[in-house]
Amino acid sequence: MKETWRLIDMRIEDAPTQMAIDEAIAMARLKEDTPNTVRLYRWNPSAVSIGYFQGVEKEVNLPACEKYGVDVIRRITGGGAVYHDYNGEITYSLVAPEADPKMPADILESYELICGAIVNGLTGLGVDAEFKPVNDIVAGGKKISGNAQTRRHGVVLQHGTVLVDSDIRRMFQVLRVSDAKISDKLIEAVEDRVTNLRRYLGRHVGFDEARSALIKGFEDTFDVALEPGELTGAETLLVKRLHEKYSSREWVFQR
Amino acid sequence: MKRAEYKVPGGKLLAAELAVEGGRLAGVKITGDFFMHPEATIIDLEKTLCDTPVENLDDTVNRFFRENDVTLFGVEARDFVRVVRLALES
Repeated sequence: MKETWRLIDMRIEDAPTQMAIDEAIAMARLKEDTPNTVRLYRWNPSAVSIGYFQGVEKEVNLPACEKYGVDVIRRITGGGAVYHDYNGEITYSLVAPEADPKMPADILESYELICGAIVNGLTGLGVDAEFKPVNDIVAGGKKISGNAQTRRHGVVLQHGTVLVDSDIRRMFQVLRVSDAKISDKLIEAVEDRVTNLRRYLGRHVGFDEARSALIKGFEDTFDVALEPGELTGAETLLVKRLHEKYSSREWVFQR
Repeated sequence: MKRAEYKVPGGKLLAAELAVEGGRLAGVKITGDFFMHPEATIIDLEKTLCDTPVENLDDTVNRFFRENDVTLFGVEARDFVRVVRLALES
């Protein structure tokens, strides 16, 4: 019989809640009754997440975020700033013990394996995607997914983004890209480097279609069945506590 | 405050912000889109750099990465030296 992992499917929450859920599952995995878990989710309101080491004022146009009602959050994972467009992006996360027989001890190898699940999901949609070390997935040479991993509490937590139909103009309004102005030329330059499902496939791809493909990608890659489930009571308590951290100015503005 | 950015060729971006007081580094802050495991090690590195005599920069950074179990992606130990030196020259 196939091993079963928990699927927490397409929860729509604000930025502090999403980041609190990811960390809560990682904290609970080895201590509480928490199984290996894959989450797929969307951010409402849309949000900018920055990497653990990034300077918030350096990366984010804070007045623009305020103007457009875009949340700003710091992740516990490294890497770069991401615009999580509610209408154009799916985020995933995966939590499994470092000692899990399916999880490579080597960090780079585990990036490749977990990103492989996304690559397989994208392939199912007809996208010729490939892993580009350290932490990107590209299609036709353009980035379609960014990923970030941390290891703590004896657990691997990796989360990442799959661009479905993101608003690149808005992305450039809320992220600070040097001090260059948002010109059509700049947007064209970005379109040369970044793509999404709609642009790559030349058709509308709904969240349900993308979601199903990603679920299959995880199931095939890890040879597991994903079974829909909810957060445990212990996790829910942790989420409440961590939500306070993630929404605090102290956390978001620490560097 | 002295500041500099350094994009590692084929890697990630590093930025440093610091001051110099009496020939020693002060208020060192390092930011960027790199990966460092465990993440909180960056705070130890910044603390270690603060109060380091400027001429001991290389030794201090190299010793730090030798003595701590740190995994880096997108940057190497020498890139931290480089970005701090660039900031010093700014």
